[in-house]
Amino acid sequence: MRNSLAIARKELSIYFTTPWAYVVFTAMAVISSLVFLDLLGVFKQAQEMARAFTWARLPPEYSAFKNLTDGVIVNLWGFIAVIVLFVAPLLSMGLFAKEKRHGTFELLMTAPIRPFDIVLGKYLGAVGIVFATLGLTIVYPLVIAAFGQGESGSALEWPTVLLGYGGLLLWGATCMAVGMFISVLTNSEMLAAVLTFVVALLWWLIKEVAQAADEPWRSLAGHISFASQLQNLSKGVLDLKAIVFFFSMIFFSLFLTHRAVEAHRWA
Amino acid sequence: MAMIEVKDLTKRYRDRVAVDHLTFQVNEGEILGFLGPNGAGKSTTMKILTGFLPPTSGSAKVGGFDVFENPMEVKRRIGYLPESPPLYPEMTVRGYLRFVASIRGVKGAQLKSEIERVALLTGATGVLDRIIQNLSKGYRQRVGIAQALLGSPPVLILDEPTEGLDPIQRAEVRQLIKGLAGKHTVILSTHILPEVTMTCEKVLIINQGKIVAFEELKNLANAYGQAENVSLEEIFIKLTAA
Repeated sequence: MRNSLAIARKELSIYFTTPWAYVVFTAMAVISSLVFLDLLGVFKQAQEMARAFTWARLPPEYSAFKNLTDGVIVNLWGFIAVIVLFVAPLLSMGLFAKEKRHGTFELLMTAPIRPFDIVLGKYLGAVGIVFATLGLTIVYPLVIAAFGQGESGSALEWPTVLLGYGGLLLWGATCMAVGMFISVLTNSEMLAAVLTFVVALLWWLIKEVAQAADEPWRSLAGHISFASQLQNLSKGVLDLKAIVFFFSMIFFSLFLTHRAVEAHRWA
Repeated sequence: MAMIEVKDLTKRYRDRVAVDHLTFQVNEGEILGFLGPNGAGKSTTMKILTGFLPPTSGSAKVGGFDVFENPMEVKRRIGYLPESPPLYPEMTVRGYLRFVASIRGVKGAQLKSEIERVALLTGATGVLDRIIQNLSKGYRQRVGIAQALLGSPPVLILDEPTEGLDPIQRAEVRQLIKGLAGKHTVILSTHILPEVTMTCEKVLIINQGKIVAFEELKNLANAYGQAENVSLEEIFIKLTAA
């Protein structure tokens, strides 16, 4: 554990001394703020229309805009999950690929630490950086809580907001685990990033892609798609199946990464 | 007592034989000069000794532990400088050495003094707070050597430690390595032959993965030259010409 923490600390210190972390933070801050402002605008418009015509006469998709939690935050979490899909590969690409390219993989492999320590340490660092990226976005519900007003007093339903946020963190951690496994397979960071992005995107869209397929493939694709698993969580539904699904994805990726590192001893 | 024992060590990459039935041993406290033309299998042998690569057949033991069966025990005993120093360019020298020291099992309380010690030995004290990517090649090499010395491992495996250094730095590193004799068992590979004459007692010359000479330095001169003044260079060229 001590070794894993030393590796995690090293990973984080490297993230913060290279421009990548800041590029990703900036991208996350800028894009999510734009989406947030846009959602606030849409919310305001929907409320005004409801005041003029009453909710009953508006199309059903407007019903989400009855309150700030469903109208703004839940939608925002959905968008941020997509941003994570784009930025996580940039954060995970170097985890192993860079060590191999710089020859520092040899340093790790000849130090008296187990492959398990290396994998766990790197993953802790990876989770740390993706949580830091997502940590920026907790500011939006705080802004709403400070300035917004709801019919029943509090502007937001915090359990829904926080559960959605938890789902987002879990999603980020899953992307990093998959990205880490892909990074261990190559010594090119570029290739690792592109491959991670393609895999995560396809996995995200697999439900849509499989619409044309026959049963049982269509339902299977619906179940394993990242997007459909995340759907309930970001709406604030405590979906145990989805939580188990994401944790299994993480463990499976870590297991494969460990095997890939261990395999170096035999190759 | 033999600190490093290599027996019938063979490494094959598909159909290319990189190391071909090497057998040698290095006694505790000895400095072995490891010579051979480029591609002779020096780095491969060193990578096997440090547990980075598995042997195809044969065995290698460090401190009595087999590198493949007991890798942790072996890794605890070896400080290793690979061909190109394994550095994280974004880190400061101090941060880097602290990281390596902690994964090499140096305890928290001794971290600071251990870093100061290896920096002083390698002449890197002045650059401790600089970012590695801004260092000259010579200093990077020194940081690489410093990293191998962390925690005073009994065995040091140094793959071309004087590569990229200027003549003055080279003399300093030679002095440093000479000073390690007795306390550490050292395997040192190099292209620079006078270096071996000045630092090592024993030489191992390999060519195309096979041993062509494994001798005390003074015996080597007697065996291959008529006079005392025959240079190692001439012997080397003679032996590896085949």
